[in-house]
Amino acid sequence: MFFRKRAQDKADKTKTKDRLTTSLSKNVVQLKTTCFKDDESVIYRGIRTREPHVVPIVLIYSNDLAKHEFLSDYIVRPLMIYSLPKGLRGQRLIDHLVEHVIQADGISTFTSFQELAKGVVDGAGVILVEGSDRGILVDSQGWEKRAVTEPQSESAVRGPREGFTEELGVNVSLVRRKIKSPDLKVKNMQVGLQTKTKLAIMYVEGLVSPGLLEEVCKRIEKVNIDAILESGYLEELIRDSPNSPLPTIGHTERPDKVAAKLLEGRVAILVDGTPFALTMPYLFVEAFQANEDYYHHWLAATFHRLVRYSSFFLTTCTPGLYLALVTHEPQLIPMNLAISISAARKSVPFPAIVEIILMGFVFEVLREGGVRLPRPIGQTISIVGAIVLGDAAVGASLVSAPMIIVVGITAVAGFVVAQLNDASALIRLLLVLASAVLGLYGFLLGVMAVSIHLAAMKSFGVPYLSAFTSLSAQGVKDTVLRAPWRRMIMRPRQLSEGNPQREKRKSRGTNP
Amino acid sequence: MKRAALRMVPLVILVLTLVGCWDYREIEVLDFVLGGGIESVEPDVILVTEMAKSTGTQQETEFQPVVLTTQAPSFAGATRSLYTPTEMEVFWPHAEVFLVSEEVARQGMLEVTEFVLRAPEMRSTMYMFVTKECKVEEVFKSKPPLFDSVSQHLMGSVRLANMTTVYIPTQVWKFSGDMAAEGVSSTLPTVQLVNEAGDMVPVVKGTAVFKKDKMVGWLDAEETRLFSLLSGATQHSFFVMQTRLGEMVYPISYQFRGNQVQIKPVVDGERLSMEVSLYLQLGVVELGKATTTALSDSVIRSMEEQLSHAFARRIDDFFSLIQKEYNTDILGFGQMLMRKHPDAWRSRSDNWDTIFPTLPVETKVKCRIVLTGLRRDPMKVRD
Repeated sequence: MFFRKRAQDKADKTKTKDRLTTSLSKNVVQLKTTCFKDDESVIYRGIRTREPHVVPIVLIYSNDLAKHEFLSDYIVRPLMIYSLPKGLRGQRLIDHLVEHVIQADGISTFTSFQELAKGVVDGAGVILVEGSDRGILVDSQGWEKRAVTEPQSESAVRGPREGFTEELGVNVSLVRRKIKSPDLKVKNMQVGLQTKTKLAIMYVEGLVSPGLLEEVCKRIEKVNIDAILESGYLEELIRDSPNSPLPTIGHTERPDKVAAKLLEGRVAILVDGTPFALTMPYLFVEAFQANEDYYHHWLAATFHRLVRYSSFFLTTCTPGLYLALVTHEPQLIPMNLAISISAARKSVPFPAIVEIILMGFVFEVLREGGVRLPRPIGQTISIVGAIVLGDAAVGASLVSAPMIIVVGITAVAGFVVAQLNDASALIRLLLVLASAVLGLYGFLLGVMAVSIHLAAMKSFGVPYLSAFTSLSAQGVKDTVLRAPWRRMIMRPRQLSEGNPQREKRKSRGTNP
Repeated sequence: MKRAALRMVPLVILVLTLVGCWDYREIEVLDFVLGGGIESVEPDVILVTEMAKSTGTQQETEFQPVVLTTQAPSFAGATRSLYTPTEMEVFWPHAEVFLVSEEVARQGMLEVTEFVLRAPEMRSTMYMFVTKECKVEEVFKSKPPLFDSVSQHLMGSVRLANMTTVYIPTQVWKFSGDMAAEGVSSTLPTVQLVNEAGDMVPVVKGTAVFKKDKMVGWLDAEETRLFSLLSGATQHSFFVMQTRLGEMVYPISYQFRGNQVQIKPVVDGERLSMEVSLYLQLGVVELGKATTTALSDSVIRSMEEQLSHAFARRIDDFFSLIQKEYNTDILGFGQMLMRKHPDAWRSRSDNWDTIFPTLPVETKVKCRIVLTGLRRDPMKVRD
C-alpha cells in the first residue's frame, strides 16, 4: 500500500515537472538545462509584441529542421506588427494568437515539455508566451528533400518513371495520385523509441480483408525497438517464417506497383525515411511478376514470365545438376559432351565439388564487390572478374571451361529474378551439397526439401504457393501466364474475399 | 522444439558424410568405350573395344579412337582386363555398337547376350552387328571416311537405315527377345569391309539369319530389302527394275512412296497356308535411256503390272530361300499363327521345324505408281 502510494507520488511529481509553468523565463531555463541541454542546434528567439501591450514571447525551433523564411514571415513578423488588445492573458491570449495573429495552417497547442521537445525535433516552431502554461506548435518543417526520380533498383522500359523518395508525405501522395478514391485509406502509426519513425499503412477499404488489416496493425503494435531506420527493420520484425531466406513481405520503390497491389486487396506500409515500401501478403508468384508485364501485350508478358521461371530454375539448379551428372551419372550426358568435359577436366587438379564452390565463391565476391561501388569502378570490377579471373583461371587449369559456363549461366539467370537473388544463392548451395553427396538422387531430395519448405510457408495467413495450387482458370490467370486484361476479371481470391470482381465482363472498347 | 532441431543438425551432417559419396567418381578418370565386340569365345574370350582418347586444350577438345583387345577365360574377366592397359575406369554406358564375329555367331549367341544383358553398365540398347568375311578387330581398326571412330560411323548408318534399307538395325534387347520368343527367329545386320580408294571402310549391308541362337546363313542386300519390306518397315529407298516400254527394255529407277504389307495365316481344316499381300506405292525417279517415253496412263499401267509380277517372283524366291534353304522363320509366321489361331498353333508348335519349310505361301502384289516426279511429257531435243 505504502509502496504503491510512493510510486503514485513519484509519477505525479514527474508529471507536474513535465508541465509548463506560467513563467516564461522558468520554462526557458528548464528547457536549456534539461531537455535541450548542450544542444546548440535549438534556437530561442525572443520577441516582444508591439506597444502598448507588451508581452514577451519566445520562439523555439531547430536551426536545421525548420524553414527560416516561413518562421520569419508568418510567425515573427505578425507577432511584432499586430498590437494585442488590452487585458488578454493566459488561455485567452493563446487563443487570440492562434486565431488572429499567426498565419500558418498546421497549428496546435500543448501543455507539456515532452510535446514541446517532440515538436522541435520534428522541425516545428514552438511559441511560448509569458503568463501562459500552454504553448503553440506550428508546423514549419523545411529540409532538403530528394526529388522524385526513377528508381534505380527497379527501372522499367515502359511504365511510370517516378519512384518513392525518403519523404513519407511525398510517397503517400504518389500512391494517392494513382488511386483517386475515398476508399483508399491511410492509417498513421509511429514505431521506434528513439527514432519515432512515422509509418503510413495504406489499404483500399472494401478490397482488403479486415482480418489482414487487423493482423498487420497488431504485429506493428507489438514492435518495440529503438530504431526503424529502413523498412527492412520492420519487415524482419513482422514477417512470417523469419528464418526462411525467401521473402514473405514484398518491397518496392515504385508507386505503380504499390497501387496495383493495393487494388488486389493487399496492405502497404510506407516508412518515413526510405523509398522502399512494404506490401503484404507476399506470395511466391510475385517474385516472377514484373510491373511491365501488365503494360505490355499479354503474349509478350507471358513469354517473359516463362523466361523468368526458367531462369530461376537455371540459377538454382544448374550447378547442382552439373555436379550430379558429372560426378555420379556421366551416362546421362551425351557422349561427345561427356568426352569433352572429361578432356577439359583432366588438367584441373581439384574435384568438381571444390571447383564449383570455389567459382561460386569468387562470383559472390565479385558481385558483393561491385554492388556498392560507384558505377564506373563497378564496371572495372566486372571486367576484371570476367576476363582476368575467368579466362586466366581456365588458362591456368584452375577450373575447367564447362564450369565457367555453368557459373556464368547461374550468375546471369540469377539477375533475372532479382527479388529472389539472395534466396536462390542459398538454395543453390543446398542443391550443390546434396548433389555432391548423393548425386541425382540427392539433387532431387534437395528439390523436394525446398518444395516442401515453400508449400509450408504462409504470408499473413495466405499460403505462399497459393496462386499455383488453384484449380480454377481465374486462379491461375496471373501465375505462369499473364492472361489478357479482358479475361482477368477476378482479383486473387485469397486476398480479396469480399469483393473479388475487378472488371465488368465485356469491358472491351472494341468489338471482339 | 528448438532443441530437437539442433539435435537434427549433427545427425544430418553425420548421415551425409557416412554415405561416403555414394557412387561418386570424377568424370576425368573414366575411359569411355565407344563400341565393343567379341572376336571369339573358345578357348578364351577375346574382347575388342574401341575407346575414346581425348586430347586437346581446355577450349578445343577432340578425341581419337583407340582399339584394345583383351583375352580372358570369361567375359567379365575380359572386360576387367581392360583396366590394366588403360589404367582408367572403363565406362560402358556410352557404347552404342556391339560387334560379333561370324565364328561366335555360328557357335551360339546365348552366352554373349546373357553377359551383355546382365552387366549393369552395358546398355541393352546397343546395336548389334555380325562381321562378315572379316574379324571384329579389323572392322574397328578400319578407317571410316568422315567419322572419327568406327562406332560413330556405324551409328551414322543406323540413322540412315530406313533410307537405304539394306539392313535392319537390331538392338540387343530385340535380338535376345526374338531369340527367346516362340514362333520367330532372330536376325542381325552384317558388317563388311569394302575397299574404298585404298582404305578399308566398314559397310553395313545384308543380314545374318539365326536359328535358335546359332547363325545359319546370310541374306544379301537385295534379299534384305525384301525382308525389310515384308516385315513392315517403312521404305524410302530407290531400286532399279528392268521395265519393258514398247519394244525395248530399259532400266528404270523407282522409289518407295508408301507400302502396306499384310501377312495372315489361313487355317482351313487341317490345311494351313500363309497369305501375303503387298500394296506398294511407287514413284518414278529416273527414266534413264527411256527419256523419249511419255508417261501416259497406259504406259504407267503396264509399268505397274510388270512391277507387280517382278515383286511377286522375287518374294517367292525369298520365301523359298528362308523356308527350304535356311528353314528359319525370320518373319515370325509361327508368332502370327499363335496370335490369330492359338489352337492351330498349339497342335503344330512342337514340329514347326518340319511344317515351316513346306508351308504354302500365297503372294499377292499390287503396285501403283503414284508419282512421276515433276514431268509427264518426254524431253525434247532440237537443233
